[in-house]
Amino acid sequence: MEKLKHSVLRLLGATALLWLASPFPVQAQLRIQPGGLVQLQMPQPTVDVSSPPVATAEFDPPVVNPGGKTYYRVNIDATESAIQWPEDFSLPPELKVGTSARGMITQLQTDKFRPLTSFIYEVQAPAAGNFTVSNFTVNVLGSLVQVPAASLAVASTATAVPPPRKLIMQMTATNIYLGQPFRVRVILPAGPGNQIEALREIQFDGGGLMTDKTALQQFIGPVNLDGELKPAFVSEMMVTPIAAGPQKLMAQGFSAGREFTAPITIRGQVSLAGGQPKYVLLLSDPAKINVRPLPVEGELPGFTGAIGRFFSDPPKISTNRFHIGEPVQLKVVFHGEGDLNRFVGPAAPRSHNWQIVADPPPSTSFTLIPLTDEVHETPAIPFSYFDPESGKYVDLTVPPVPVTVMGEDLPVQLTDSSEEGKTTVSLKLSAPAMRPDHAMASLMPLQLKAWFVVLQLVPVAGFIALWEWDRRRRYLEAHPEIVRRIRARRALRQEKVQLQKAVAAGDATAFVRHAANAMNIAVAPHYPADPQALVGGDVLAQLDEPSRNGPPGELVKQVFAAADVRFAELAQPQPDLLALRSKVETVLQMLEARL
Amino acid sequence: MNRICLPSFFRRVNCCRAGVVLLVLVLGLSGVSRAAMSDDFAKGLEFSQAGQFPEAAAAFEKAAKTNPSAGTFLNLGLAEWQRGHAGAAMVAWEQARWINPFDSRAENNLKFAREAAQVDPPQLKWHEAVSTWLPPNAWVWLAGVSLWLAVGLLILPGILRRRKAGWQPWLAALSVGVFLFSLAANYGVVSRTHLGFVIKKNATVRLTPTQDGEVVLTLTSGESARVLRTRGKYFYIHTPGTSGWMEQDDFRLICPP
Repeated sequence: MEKLKHSVLRLLGATALLWLASPFPVQAQLRIQPGGLVQLQMPQPTVDVSSPPVATAEFDPPVVNPGGKTYYRVNIDATESAIQWPEDFSLPPELKVGTSARGMITQLQTDKFRPLTSFIYEVQAPAAGNFTVSNFTVNVLGSLVQVPAASLAVASTATAVPPPRKLIMQMTATNIYLGQPFRVRVILPAGPGNQIEALREIQFDGGGLMTDKTALQQFIGPVNLDGELKPAFVSEMMVTPIAAGPQKLMAQGFSAGREFTAPITIRGQVSLAGGQPKYVLLLSDPAKINVRPLPVEGELPGFTGAIGRFFSDPPKISTNRFHIGEPVQLKVVFHGEGDLNRFVGPAAPRSHNWQIVADPPPSTSFTLIPLTDEVHETPAIPFSYFDPESGKYVDLTVPPVPVTVMGEDLPVQLTDSSEEGKTTVSLKLSAPAMRPDHAMASLMPLQLKAWFVVLQLVPVAGFIALWEWDRRRRYLEAHPEIVRRIRARRALRQEKVQLQKAVAAGDATAFVRHAANAMNIAVAPHYPADPQALVGGDVLAQLDEPSRNGPPGELVKQVFAAADVRFAELAQPQPDLLALRSKVETVLQMLEARL
Repeated sequence: MNRICLPSFFRRVNCCRAGVVLLVLVLGLSGVSRAAMSDDFAKGLEFSQAGQFPEAAAAFEKAAKTNPSAGTFLNLGLAEWQRGHAGAAMVAWEQARWINPFDSRAENNLKFAREAAQVDPPQLKWHEAVSTWLPPNAWVWLAGVSLWLAVGLLILPGILRRRKAGWQPWLAALSVGVFLFSLAANYGVVSRTHLGFVIKKNATVRLTPTQDGEVVLTLTSGESARVLRTRGKYFYIHTPGTSGWMEQDDFRLICPP
């Protein structure tokens, strides 16, 4: 029972705590009517698109002097996209039509919004007369809306006619480079009674131009117009040409009473228009600008389209001592005279040693991650801009910043833990070698070296030579007469040398001895026999019949007879044997030819 | 008795002489020799002992270029490891083992590094594994000597008109066997020259050899791969996982060209 009581009390306590902790008190459920949820989400006035559109038409001003300008303006309270403006619409042919424009504004009518579209034509009447644009119909979302007729009276005599209201456009430059932003002022001078009206839905009519409305500045103050200070509503914005060549620029906007769409500065004393605003589409005179393409020559690395005059502070790095893979922030601050809103900072360069990530714009900082510890400075980040005044590219590369990158911390030993909680070193690095130890001439193995492959031809050549030698030797063994003749030729050459020496020395005895030996050597292979065992008759036998009985035979006999004198007991008178030299050589040639 | 014993004694002497010549040829001509300590090696040791590992690595690298030796590569690997370059350290130790396969210090360091970095050793084919038993140049000399020894034993007795001894055919057969075996090992050596290791952490393998190529794989420092071909500053590598192009700066071969 006691337990049940405690449980109930705990439950009640928890419920009370939950109720107290709830941020909102319990409320009764709201009953939302059909469509009411939309009202809750969009508490602003509704846009009226269901009311039948009404069209008005007028000449502003309706009376002009001959040659004076006026505007033909048609207003239809419908959206611009809903209106099918007749393609064959034309003004009376006597009127000279200038520029035309169209624009749309959302006008606030007590408790609802109502679109208003204006069509405007600049008209010049060359001669006096009355001109009427008859009524016509315009298709608005399938229903035909009647546009009433409008008349223009051109006075025959000069009368005081107020000029039509128009916008004035002032530009900081008219001769510019492609992509070079320039400031454009759209001025709505004060109306009658110096009353200032706001301008809304300002647009520039002209292809190849981009308007940056985020840089819109508005003020009311005195403006120099034709040398006279006049109060005016001024709207300034940046325009960037995106196409080269001559461009035509014209501003348009709706006068909107006191409806200022942005913070505004008021300088001097002005009076603001009161009451319900009257939305009137106004135009400026067209202006011409010349857009030059950027020069191709001299473009520097890192050009991202920045045009103007810029400079940068020294880069700042979050830390200059870090490990591989650790990201660091590199901040670069740029200042300048150009359009910093549209300033595109340097792109992240590619680097083998760094991973570089550019932070999202408008930040001009970078995240750098070192991939190696072999770098000692951050990479230079190329950047350049184009200076329109000098017409040149200017280098503004972000310089390197010295850093120290440390490698990873790797272990020098590995430990194991046992079940008892003891840790033991399982593996560790070896001690360094105190000597270079084993060396190779190159890490490239011999298998891949061309000279080694060529070297393998040496033993091949050796074995081929050996084989050839053996073949020759076997052949000579089978043909001993070849060996004998070779040897005889060799011995004959030696005897001839001795013969020459004997002639040179004038030694007749030696001459005949060597001549006889040479003849014996030359005929020895024919027997075959040892040359020492042969006599003159053996030599004669090897001569052919005519030679044997002719002078060669006589010479052989004479030589051998002179050689045999050494065996004689008494000295024999010897003729001039050295004179036989040429004959001996002839006989030896004859014998050698038969070898 | 003497007439019978003397020729057999001389035959034994000749056999021993041939064996010694073979050993000298294999070990001496293999290109492996004791290197003298160079100035760069000494500087590297000094830097290493002073804890200036980047400078030590630079000195050892210079010494290794002029005089590649197992000790230099061992120390280079230690310096690279101490400065946090796991991949470069593993390559250096592999190069130490390339020069001297019997260097147990390099083998131990490789085992340690792979355990610490959690990478697998390269998967070697059987002929590549065999080629690690001896220095690369020893295999080529072994092949050359064994081939010509076999040819010589078969041809020379006939040419020189000597009687063939009983052991000669056996030695010739053995030489032919060694030659055939060393052919496989030589092929393994050549094949291993294409083996390399990633030296940069998270190195990317790309589909095309361009900086903008699609990344197909990221390899960690110390992982092995085979280079199949080269284009510009890229290697086309093959890993067990996939194939692709890797920048040459991120990869180092055991046997650089």
